[in-house]
Amino acid sequence: MSNATSQEVSMPVADPNDPYKAPALMPSSADKEPRSFSPDAFAVPTRKIDDWRYTPVERISEFFDVFTPSNATEISASYIDGSAVSESSGVSFRSIEKTQAPAGTVLKPSDRASAVQWASTDRTYALEITKDQSIPVLVNITGAGLALDALHLVIVAGENVHADIVLEHSGQARLAEGVELSTGKHSEVSLTSIQEWTNDSKHVGSHRLHVGEGAHLRHSVVTLSGDVVRLRMDQDFGGPEGDLNMLGIYFVDPGQHIEHRTMVVHNYPECKSRVVYKGALDGKDAHSTWVGNALIQPSAPNTDSYELNRNLVLTPGAIADSEPNLEIENGNIVGAGHASSVGRFDDEELFYLQSRGIPEIEARKLVVRGFFGELVDQIGIAEISKHLMGVIDRRLARGESDEMKHVLEEN
Amino acid sequence: MQHTLEIKDLHAAVETKEGRKEILKGVNLTVHSGETHAIMGPNGSGKSTLAYTLAGHPKYEVESGQALLDGQDLLKMTADERAKAGLFLAMQYPVEVPGVSMTNFLRTAKTEVEGKAPAIRSWVKDLQGSMKKLRMDPKFAQRSVNEGFSGGEKKRAEVLQLELLKPKFAILDETDSGLDVDALRVVSEGVNRAKEDNDFGILMVTHYTRILRYIKPDIVHVFADGRFIKTGGPELADELEETGYDQYLPEGSDSESALA
Repeated sequence: MSNATSQEVSMPVADPNDPYKAPALMPSSADKEPRSFSPDAFAVPTRKIDDWRYTPVERISEFFDVFTPSNATEISASYIDGSAVSESSGVSFRSIEKTQAPAGTVLKPSDRASAVQWASTDRTYALEITKDQSIPVLVNITGAGLALDALHLVIVAGENVHADIVLEHSGQARLAEGVELSTGKHSEVSLTSIQEWTNDSKHVGSHRLHVGEGAHLRHSVVTLSGDVVRLRMDQDFGGPEGDLNMLGIYFVDPGQHIEHRTMVVHNYPECKSRVVYKGALDGKDAHSTWVGNALIQPSAPNTDSYELNRNLVLTPGAIADSEPNLEIENGNIVGAGHASSVGRFDDEELFYLQSRGIPEIEARKLVVRGFFGELVDQIGIAEISKHLMGVIDRRLARGESDEMKHVLEEN
Repeated sequence: MQHTLEIKDLHAAVETKEGRKEILKGVNLTVHSGETHAIMGPNGSGKSTLAYTLAGHPKYEVESGQALLDGQDLLKMTADERAKAGLFLAMQYPVEVPGVSMTNFLRTAKTEVEGKAPAIRSWVKDLQGSMKKLRMDPKFAQRSVNEGFSGGEKKRAEVLQLELLKPKFAILDETDSGLDVDALRVVSEGVNRAKEDNDFGILMVTHYTRILRYIKPDIVHVFADGRFIKTGGPELADELEETGYDQYLPEGSDSESALA
C-alpha cells in the first residue's frame, strides 16, 4: 500500500487509552488473551486482569507457576455400571506421553493456569471412543490429598460415534486439570463433568472442546463442592452445522468460590449453541461466578446462539457474579441472545406452599428441585439425574443443622 | 362431623417503615361447620390481615389472642401445621412457583394434608373431574404452579385446591376480585360444590356484594378498624350495598372505598 493510498483511506488508529474512538479496531473484547502452551505468554493473574477479576487469585496462587506434581491423583475408566471397558467394545483408555497425539492437539491453553497445568503435567491419559456406546463411560478421578497435582486427559470420539462420557471428580484434592475433547463428524456425544470434592479442595481446570462438522455435543458441568473450583471452557467448531449444548449446575456453600467460564466460538456457518448455567448459593460468602462469552466470527453466517445464567440465593450473604458477553462480527445470523439473573429465595413462594400443608423443608426442596429440574433432565443420563437430585435434597435437608442455623443467625 | 373455629380477642401487628403498627385490634368470631360468614368492610380495615394471620403468614405478628380449631390453637402452629389441622386460605393473589408442576404440587399437598399418599387411580380421577367442572384446560396440570395463569385461572386453581384438600374451614380472601361474570359463576359454583361435599365453614372476605349472589352467606359481618363492629343476617349485605361503609368509619377518617 502506497503512502498516497493510505492517506486517502485514512484508516483510524486504535488509541489504547480510548478504544471506543474506533470500535472496529478494538481487540475481541470476549477473547483477547493469547493461545499458548507457554506460561510466560500470560501475565501472572491479578484481579486487575479482566479474566481474573471475580477470582480470589490469592487463594489459588499455587496454580500460577510451574510446579512438581504429586502424581497421586487416581484415575480410572469403566462403564458407569462398573463393568470394564475394552478396545473390542470401541473404548480405549490408556496413559500416553504428553508429546504424543492426540494430547495437545485440540486447542491451546487460553490462560496462565492452563498453560502452567500443561507445563507441570507428568501424566497424560487418552480416552478414545471409536464405536457407538449404549452405556455411559465413566472416568473416575479421585483426589489423594492436598499436595498439588496436575493431570491431563484427552478424549477423542470418532466420526458418527454416539457416546456418553462422565468425568467424576471426588475426594480431597488440589488439582490442576486439563481436559481436551475432540468429536468427529456427525457424532453425538455428551460429556458430563461432576465436581464433588471435599470442602477444602481446590480445582483449577480447563476444558478445550472441538465440535466436529455436523456433530452434536452436550457438555455438562456439575460442581457441587470444593473450596475453590475454577473451570474454563473453550470451544470451536470443526465445520458447518455443529450443535453445542452447554449445561451447568452448581451449588455453593458458605465461603466457597465456584467459577465457570464458557467461551463459545462460532467460526463456521450454520452452527447452533446453547449455554444454560444455573446455580444455588447458600450462606455467608458463598461466591459463584459465571462468565459466558460468545464470539460470532465473520466466517459464521446463520449462527444461532443463546446463553443464560440463573442464580438462586437460598440464604443471605452470598454473592453471585454473572456476566454474559456477546461479540457479533457477522450481521447475517439467526439469533444471538443472552439472559442473566440473580434471585432470592422467595418467602411468598414458601408461604404459599406451606399454606397447603407442605412443611418448610419440603417446600424448599420443591422450589430448588423445580429450579434445577429441567436442567437435570437435560443432562440425559438417568444415573446422573438421580444422583444429582439426591445431592440437592441432602443439601437442603442440611439447612436444618446447627451449622446452618449459626450461619443464618450471623446475617 | 361438626367443627368449630373460635377466634378470641386476636391482636396482630405488622412491622412498617414507620414502626410497629397494630392492625387487628381484638377480633372475636365463632364459625361452625356448614356456616358461611361474609366479612365485609372498607379497604385497609384489616380483613385480609385477619385472613393471612389465621393462615400463618410470617409478616403478621400475633400479639395476643387465640384461634381455636376444635380447641387447638392455630396460632401456635406453623403455616403447614395449620393446613394439616384443616384450615385453607384461598388467596387474593396466588403466588407463582416456577419449576413446580401443578400435579406435583397438588399431590405433595394432598399427601401432607392426609398424612398418606392418595391412591393413584382415584387421585387422577378426582383431579381430572374437578378440573373439568372448573372448566380448566387439562394442560394446566403440567404447568408450573400459577405461572403465567390469568387472574381468573389463578382463582380457579385456588378453588381446585379447596375441592381436593377438603379443609374444615376455608377462608376466601377476595376470591371475587378480578373475575368477569362468567368466571365468577364458575368459581362460585366450585366453592358451593366443595362445600356441599365436605360441609366446611366459610369465612368469605369481600368488598362487594356481587359474590354473595352466588355464595349465599348465613351471617354477614362488618369489619372496620381491626375488629368486627356489626353482625347481622344476609340483609346486612344489602344495607351495605345501599349505604356504603362510611357510617362504620371512625370520625374524620376517609374511606378509600368512598373515594374510589
